[in-house]
Amino acid sequence: MLVHSRKAKWAVWALFLLLFVPLFALPLLVVLGASFATNWSSVLPSGLTAANYQAATRGEALQALTTSLVTAVTASLLALAAGTWAALAAAALGKRHRKVMDALFVLPVAVPSVVVGLAILVAFSQPPMLLNGTRWIVIIAHTVLVTAFAHQSVSAAITRLDPAYEQAAASLGARPAHVLFRVKLPLLLPSLTAAAGLCFALSMGELSATMMLYPPDWTPLPVLIYASTDRGALFTGSAIAVVLMAATLLVLFAVSRIRTRASYR
Amino acid sequence: MTEAVREVRAVRGRPGAPGGSRRPSTAPRPSATRLLWALPPVALLALVFLYPLALVVQQSFQPDTGGTSVQPYADVFASEAFREALWTTVWLALGSTAGCLVLGFALALVIAFVPFPGARAVSRFIDVFLSFPSFLITLALLFIYGTVGMANGLWTDVTGAAEGPFQFLTTPWGVLLAEITYFTPFVMRPLLAAFSQLDTAQLEAASSLGARAPRIIRQVVLPEALPALAAGGSLVLVLCLNEFGIVLFTGAKGVTTLPMLVYGKAILESDYPGACVVAVVNVLISVGLYGLYRVVSRRAGA
Amino acid sequence: MGIRFDAVTVAYDGNVVLDALDLTVAPGEVMALLGPSGSGKTTALRAVAGFVRPASGRVFLGDRDVTDLPPHRRGIGMVVQQYALFPHMRVEDNVAFGLKARKVPRAEIRTRVAEALEMTGMGAYARRHPRELSGGQQQRVAIARALAIRPDVLLLDEPLSALDAQLRSGMLAELARLHRELPDVSILYVTHDQVEALTLADRIAVMDKAKLRACGTPRELYRAPTDEFTASFVGGANLLPVTVGATGVRLGEAELKADTAGAAVGARATLCVRPHLVGLGEGPNRLTGTLSEIQWRGATHRLYVEVDGHRVMADLRELRDPPGLGDEVTLHFAPDDAVLLPAGVGHD
Repeated sequence: MLVHSRKAKWAVWALFLLLFVPLFALPLLVVLGASFATNWSSVLPSGLTAANYQAATRGEALQALTTSLVTAVTASLLALAAGTWAALAAAALGKRHRKVMDALFVLPVAVPSVVVGLAILVAFSQPPMLLNGTRWIVIIAHTVLVTAFAHQSVSAAITRLDPAYEQAAASLGARPAHVLFRVKLPLLLPSLTAAAGLCFALSMGELSATMMLYPPDWTPLPVLIYASTDRGALFTGSAIAVVLMAATLLVLFAVSRIRTRASYR
Repeated sequence: MTEAVREVRAVRGRPGAPGGSRRPSTAPRPSATRLLWALPPVALLALVFLYPLALVVQQSFQPDTGGTSVQPYADVFASEAFREALWTTVWLALGSTAGCLVLGFALALVIAFVPFPGARAVSRFIDVFLSFPSFLITLALLFIYGTVGMANGLWTDVTGAAEGPFQFLTTPWGVLLAEITYFTPFVMRPLLAAFSQLDTAQLEAASSLGARAPRIIRQVVLPEALPALAAGGSLVLVLCLNEFGIVLFTGAKGVTTLPMLVYGKAILESDYPGACVVAVVNVLISVGLYGLYRVVSRRAGA
Repeated sequence: MGIRFDAVTVAYDGNVVLDALDLTVAPGEVMALLGPSGSGKTTALRAVAGFVRPASGRVFLGDRDVTDLPPHRRGIGMVVQQYALFPHMRVEDNVAFGLKARKVPRAEIRTRVAEALEMTGMGAYARRHPRELSGGQQQRVAIARALAIRPDVLLLDEPLSALDAQLRSGMLAELARLHRELPDVSILYVTHDQVEALTLADRIAVMDKAKLRACGTPRELYRAPTDEFTASFVGGANLLPVTVGATGVRLGEAELKADTAGAAVGARATLCVRPHLVGLGEGPNRLTGTLSEIQWRGATHRLYVEVDGHRVMADLRELRDPPGLGDEVTLHFAPDDAVLLPAGVGHD
């Protein structure tokens, strides 16, 4: 509708592909390709093999996958609970209090993740909350980082929610708790699952704070990928990265299935 | 799965709620109970985030020699490494943001207004792209432009030279390329949302009045997209200032940004006061800019 | 159970949207709150439901002061313009919602849901989801849901404005039937549509700019309005600025006969004449002017005639031989059909 002549259209599309393919499609394809290779010194990778995946799905790597999954699921659920609670409580507050609370809960987005990691390291390395060296310090850091996103998306959904539903329920005699559990939360369910998916994806890929905090027995996938590439094992690293992407996509897909079933309109 | 991501990512770029109707306020009940309900999450946040952050600020004033002083600040500000990292961080962030804005605007323009078969698939792909960690881009660039990667391999195969010409990966330019690649979708998302609100009748009207594409873009599309551009741009600026994974994976000694410096001082040198000082500086810059972003994007939503 | 507003004032951020409303709805009465948007009518309804809190004044349901009660303890049935059916529940669960919230025994819920759906003619749709219903059907379910809790007071907020014209007149008849079946339920009906108000209401409260302008039976308001706003909002009217004389009024040069009881000689006033009571040709009260516009509306013609700088509207049975633009036209009306009102803003 902006460009009318056929020739100009094709020119625009060609330019689009020229930018889009090398910048966005190629990197993912390259990682995928490298994960099946042993050598890449020409246009195409060579020495095709599945051995990288054998390395990427057993032992250390398998443990890292479980570590990442457990961390991400725990952090997402905690973040969802805290973020939803905060968003619901904030929505009920007056304008001034609500603004303060929103600002507090988005702050972790603005603070560099590395600093969040440092702060948690400083705070939880001393009594009374000595958590340094345990898996909990990683999970706490992830929870802090993703809560901001959970809170933001849930409060956006609450703003979009038509107050007429809540009011209709109240006029029919439902107490606030009844309204919350029978009307508001079910109506928010699609947004809640979407927020959960986002939190999960972010936690799966979290590297900055994790690098500051992870104990030797709780190494998530991104750290392992870094460790592999750092010692030169680029192809194994790529295979682990593909495992990371696949796991993330699988969970997001499952979440979106729940979400489709949960959206009623 | 992409909807899941799209829905929420859109939140990042478009916090303003739609619907201009006056929100009927529920009769305010005694606000004490409401405040009480807000207390548990706030207390939790204070425990795991605000209190640790305060400790960082406190430690930044406590040199290893004991006591409380601004000595750590003086030391850090005096060091060449810090000043260089500060400069690198800022220009990389500004450069990446500018690149993302130009590229994102152009690509979103094509997807929205010169649609082609598969344009929807492309915008879904962008959502998926957003759900991957940033360091994957650097990893991929190693295979594309690395010393023995695709591009250099092609060059040596064709010319027979011993070395390829692409050696920028371990320089700041490599980081710039990776950041532009990774963060451009963050600009495209709010832009595509803004474009979908734009009435195509406006474009048709402008077109029927004899305006050509560049004029339409400048006078009709750009003004509509400006809030989304401002919001997306400032978000990307903050994210670039805070980016760690891309720089870490580049593995270049020559590229040190503030987050890298925090990591290096804390984990590699165990210089906690120094790390805390850099962290405080980094937080001040980022939070300041993020505050600006919130103001801008709220205005965009209104 | 009746509703009583006692000097109810509501303000948003210092903006008064409802100004000291005094109004009583008798038990079993249908009261229409009629006014343009922004007149405060919906605010008044929401004050009864408990969704806005008056800055001052009290709201009573029967003898009970409910001003400080939260909405869920007021026991009011409410239907809003967008229906607000819970999209995640079937029709029967929507209707049962209020009963479950009140912990009504399960067996009784079933019979009362069936009864409410039967009453609104939606019995066959109990297992459907709201999204599978048309607008009119959703509206019936919303009414059934409000009726299932057997409220003494029913609040209807523009319940028909989301429906198209044809459906609307059908639902209007339906609402009238429901009220005959439930003679003890007081109904507060908010609308901006005078036809709905005239058709359904026992009494109409006309609101404008946060204030109550007039309140009376539809016949009173239509036949004998007491102010200019009511006259033009209910039914439409010619409002002519006149000066009161001894036996009639003067409009510019023209002498017109009208009932001037209670008005001082020489005072300025407004003469209100309904367009459909104005006739073409010679008659007792003559107005002569030039035709500035004529609209054919099927069964009627509407004429706009400029009389001494005042525009006079006349609705006439379709004319065989309508006058042309710029023609001199003579209109008339019976003295009994004119109402003298105090001079309002339209008077210079």
